[in-house]
Amino acid sequence: MSASEPTIPAAERRRAWRPFALALPALVLLLAVIGYPLLTIVVRSLSEPQWGLQNYVWFFSVPINLAVLQRTFVISAWVTLVCVVCAYPYAYLMTAVGPRVRLLLLLCVLIPFWVSGVVRTLSWVILLQDSGVINSILRSLGFGGVRLIRTQTGVVIGMAQVLLPFMILPLYSVMKGIDLKLVQAARSLGARPSRAFLTVYLPLSLPGVYAGAVIVFILALGFYITPALLGGPRSTMLSTLVQTQVLSLLQWGRGGAMGVVLLVTTFVLLALAAPVMRSRHRQAGRP
Amino acid sequence: MRLRFGHAACVAVLLAATAALAQSKPVAGEVAEGSLKGKTLTLVSYGGIYQDGQAAALKEFVDKSGVKLLNDGPTEIAKLQAQVESGNVTWDVVDTDDLPPYVYCGKLFQKLDLTKLDVSKIPEGQVGECSVPAMNYGVVLMYNTEKYKDNPPKSWADFFDTQKFPGVRGIDGSGSPTGGLLEQAFKVAGGDPKAMTVADIDKAIDVVRKLGPDTIFWKTGAESQQLAESGEADMLMMWTGRAMTAVKNGAKYTPAWQDWLVVMDQMTIPVGVKDTDASYALLNAYLGKHAQEILAEQTSYTPINSDAQPKVDASVSAFLTNSPERQKQGYKQNFKFWVPNFAVAQEKWSALMSGN
Repeated sequence: MSASEPTIPAAERRRAWRPFALALPALVLLLAVIGYPLLTIVVRSLSEPQWGLQNYVWFFSVPINLAVLQRTFVISAWVTLVCVVCAYPYAYLMTAVGPRVRLLLLLCVLIPFWVSGVVRTLSWVILLQDSGVINSILRSLGFGGVRLIRTQTGVVIGMAQVLLPFMILPLYSVMKGIDLKLVQAARSLGARPSRAFLTVYLPLSLPGVYAGAVIVFILALGFYITPALLGGPRSTMLSTLVQTQVLSLLQWGRGGAMGVVLLVTTFVLLALAAPVMRSRHRQAGRP
Repeated sequence: MRLRFGHAACVAVLLAATAALAQSKPVAGEVAEGSLKGKTLTLVSYGGIYQDGQAAALKEFVDKSGVKLLNDGPTEIAKLQAQVESGNVTWDVVDTDDLPPYVYCGKLFQKLDLTKLDVSKIPEGQVGECSVPAMNYGVVLMYNTEKYKDNPPKSWADFFDTQKFPGVRGIDGSGSPTGGLLEQAFKVAGGDPKAMTVADIDKAIDVVRKLGPDTIFWKTGAESQQLAESGEADMLMMWTGRAMTAVKNGAKYTPAWQDWLVVMDQMTIPVGVKDTDASYALLNAYLGKHAQEILAEQTSYTPINSDAQPKVDASVSAFLTNSPERQKQGYKQNFKFWVPNFAVAQEKWSALMSGN
């Protein structure tokens, strides 16, 4: 392949831009519906009420903002962890069963995905509330009730359920490409099942874990409805504060600054995580 | 014959005079036949049965004037601000919360020309510089009758007293602070709401904070209703409409009416609407006796035309707030204080709502 590279005909080289032309509608859409509004947010965060950094100074000088920012990341991390733990065996099961059962398993993931987020969150209210299904079962079994609704635990449970498909699907797509003969080979060379899993299967599946974790974590950071309905004051996330600033106080600048802080912090975290992920990728790709 | 002619002429002159008078002096609920033919008005409100009721109340106006009425919503002041700033205002009449028309009077909402509206039947003190009331309701203290039995809470002071009245409290956490509740809390802290200062907002919020970690801040009216129906909160701060529905659905709760907090929605005309007079015509029709009766019958909110006699059943009328007795028990918030301090109060309230 590499030897033939210099001999690519000129005509073919000229055609190389074509894939980009195909991507043009998506690019235009992204620029129009994400790029432009994002730019507006950045500009307004710096220009309202006057040009300057006042909105950012305000953000970092109010303790509640920082506490909520930190809480937003902590909750998102918990949600990611819960999703990994629940999704990993599930995705593995999807690779191990026949096509019929796999379809069924896939439907189980996708059907809740097609139901509106508000409806799903409200069903969680019914399940989690003090007089709800879970607590009635616990009480009828002789256990005391647990406070689930309006707690951070309740928020994490609700969010993890909403975000689970985003973890299962990338995991499954990576896992189905893993050659199970490699695990068999490890076993035949004398590795115990746990050893074969840890040294062969797990590293090969890690790209899926990372991909899913990044998607879930980033989506979780921006959650609004679920923490609002399932949480109490101690599980308020940043989006709720943004909403108060913009919709109630008409402080677009401050709301914008909060959004930018969240975005930048996310980028920084991803940049920090990227080298780890890349080296793992290489390891995993090694034969 | 001549006599008859004279009679008819007399009537004609009288009619003409009335018509001229009507033109110069509007009567609530009336609109000239076909006067808005070909025009379109957009009413913005909060959706649900409330906005359906408003549309029903305005049906007569629509049929008679020939206007095409569009409904939009929910009301968001930020959206309205964006419209006013861009000079493209598509909302002609906007139903808002209590305070915004006072906070943004002249900036987002037009100062009303009261020669174009008949405000004579609106309860005293409810016409603002930029708003007329859309309806009245109350924020009321509801308590669980099975929990408190013979020793029920009687006032907001009892609501804030967890020693004498143990139990879970539910408070409106839907967004903005309720001025009246903070004033009642400030009273508990030993202050005088009439002489409240900005620093006192903290004292009032502290009283709410002291209710403890079990306190539930409900996010939506539906949630407050659900808290009553499931019995999860022992004392609830509730909107009268939701309180009524909860009781109708079997919640074992009853109101303590003393110092119920008077609240209302406001009707406004945004700055920069395309046809101001058409918006005025809608408002004036909305204030009419018949329109208000329909609104009250459909939504169970209290009408703001004092002549209105809505036909409602006992469960609804128990929660209407316009009877002389209720009017005496009602507590009106200190508007003069909250309007300039709205932003400060909101920030402090949001901090409480975010677990601080």
